[in-house]
Parts: sequence; C-alpha cells; structure tokens
Amino acid sequence: MIGFFVIAAFAVAGAIMVVTARQPIHAALALVATLLAVAVAYITLDAHFLAAIQVIVYAGAIMVLFLFVIMLLNVERQPLAARWSWLRPTAYGVGLLALVAVAAVVIDQRRALPEAAVVAEVLQGGSAERIGTILFSDYLLAFHLVAVLLLTGIIGAVSLVQRAAAPERPAAAGASEPVAAEGEPA
Amino acid sequence: MSVPTEYYVVLSAVLFGLGAVGVVTRRSAIMVFLSVELMLNAANLAMVAYARHWSITGGTHALQGQGAVFIVLAVAAAEVAVGLGILVAIFRNRASTDVDELSEVRA
Repeated sequence: MIGFFVIAAFAVAGAIMVVTARQPIHAALALVATLLAVAVAYITLDAHFLAAIQVIVYAGAIMVLFLFVIMLLNVERQPLAARWSWLRPTAYGVGLLALVAVAAVVIDQRRALPEAAVVAEVLQGGSAERIGTILFSDYLLAFHLVAVLLLTGIIGAVSLVQRAAAPERPAAAGASEPVAAEGEPA
Repeated sequence: MSVPTEYYVVLSAVLFGLGAVGVVTRRSAIMVFLSVELMLNAANLAMVAYARHWSITGGTHALQGQGAVFIVLAVAAAEVAVGLGILVAIFRNRASTDVDELSEVRA
C-alpha cells in the first residue's frame, strides 16, 4: 500500500510538471518520470511484459523522438499566459470536476478484488506468451490494422519531413540545416 | 495486501485530468503533444488495473485489457511519428508552433 502511494506521488508530481514547466525539455523529462512510475504500477498489477514495453518503447523510443524534435525546433520559451484569461481557471476547474466525478463513481461502485491466487493464475504475470496468445486470437484484426497503421505512419512521417526540405537545397544540404537557417530569425 | 482497483483508477483519472488541462492551456504544439501522451498513459493504466480486476471471470477476458494496452501503445507510437513530422513541417513554414496562431482554416 505504501508502495502504491510512492508510485502515485511520483506519477502525479511528474504530470504536474509536464503541465506547468516553462521549458519543453523539462516537461519531456518530467513525462519520462511519470512513464517510469506508470511502468512500476504495471508491475504491481501483474503486467510485466507491458511494463518492459512501457520502458523500452515509451520512455525509450518515443521520448527520445520528442527530445530530438524539441532540440531540432529550438522552441523558444513560451509565455505561460493563455490567450484568454478565463481559460486557465476554467480548465483547472473542469479537470477537477471530472476527476471528482470519476472518483465518486469508481468508489461508489467498487467491488471486492479477486483473490491473489486467482489473479496470479489467470494473468500469469502478464507474460509475453499470454499477451501474444491474446493478440493472435481475440485481437487478430486489430493487430493487422496496427501493422498497416505503422507502415502508413512511417511513410507519412518521411514524406512530411522530406517535402519541405527537397526544393530549397537540392544537393548537399543535410536534413537539419534548412530548419536551423529558418529558425534563427525567430 | 493488494491495492484496490479504485486507487489505480483514481490515479489514472488524476493523470488524465492533468493531461486534459495541459492540452487546453498550453500554447506550444509540442507541449500539447506531451499532454496527449499523458492522457494515453492514464487510459492504459486504467485498462491494466481493470484487467487485474476481471481475472475473477476466469477465462481470457482479463488479458484482453492488457492486449488492448499493447495496441494503444502501437497506435501512440504511430501518432507521435506522424504528429512530430507535421510539427516539423509547420515549424519550417512559420518558425513557430503556437497552436493559437494556426487559424488559417477558419474562414
């Protein structure tokens, strides 16, 4: 129980930093902390394979991509003030309201947790074998669609980034140079 | 003793709410993206928590929650790749990623 509250404190502190940090780099690193805390929560929920995937894919690959883009774009410090003055308090109010609503429903409708032995027997620690069995039976269609989606995503990302760079500097220019050149006047 | 499912779902709701607030209040597109990632993770956490709860039914129903999280992870990876590509393209044209200024589509 104590462990859960430590995990939750890490996750929520990281999330608050993501929302409030001025520097995008700080926000990205805070998000890494949150993702790692969520990965530990997965372990406590008998989902070991997902915890490993969370660390490797999310905290590893996706966040590295984010950091690269943040550095590439050289994003200046953004003013924290929103366009409308009422937006910020309203957003926090609505977020808090939604949180209280979810918490009220969940706690009102709570049911007893199954025995630890039952959980261990059914989930078997959320091993790769069990997840794979589900993916290739119940989620077969979704699995195929995700494969197509990933291919589309790769092609889309490459074409999006390439098209703007090609006409300006045809021969020797590296991919990052036009960005840096255009980024300086800002 | 094991932690009740409600605790995890409330934690997930906190993370989701913070992510939603970030999407609405931040002006830089990259910060909006980071907040969206936070919301996706909150949803994943709730699904894994309920996967454990549903193991009371016996069969493979419980593991479907974890399988769905795997699919969501793959979709999130594709979304990040394309979204950051769009972001780089926008930045090349405008030297800014402020979402409030991207209003050309409005007539």
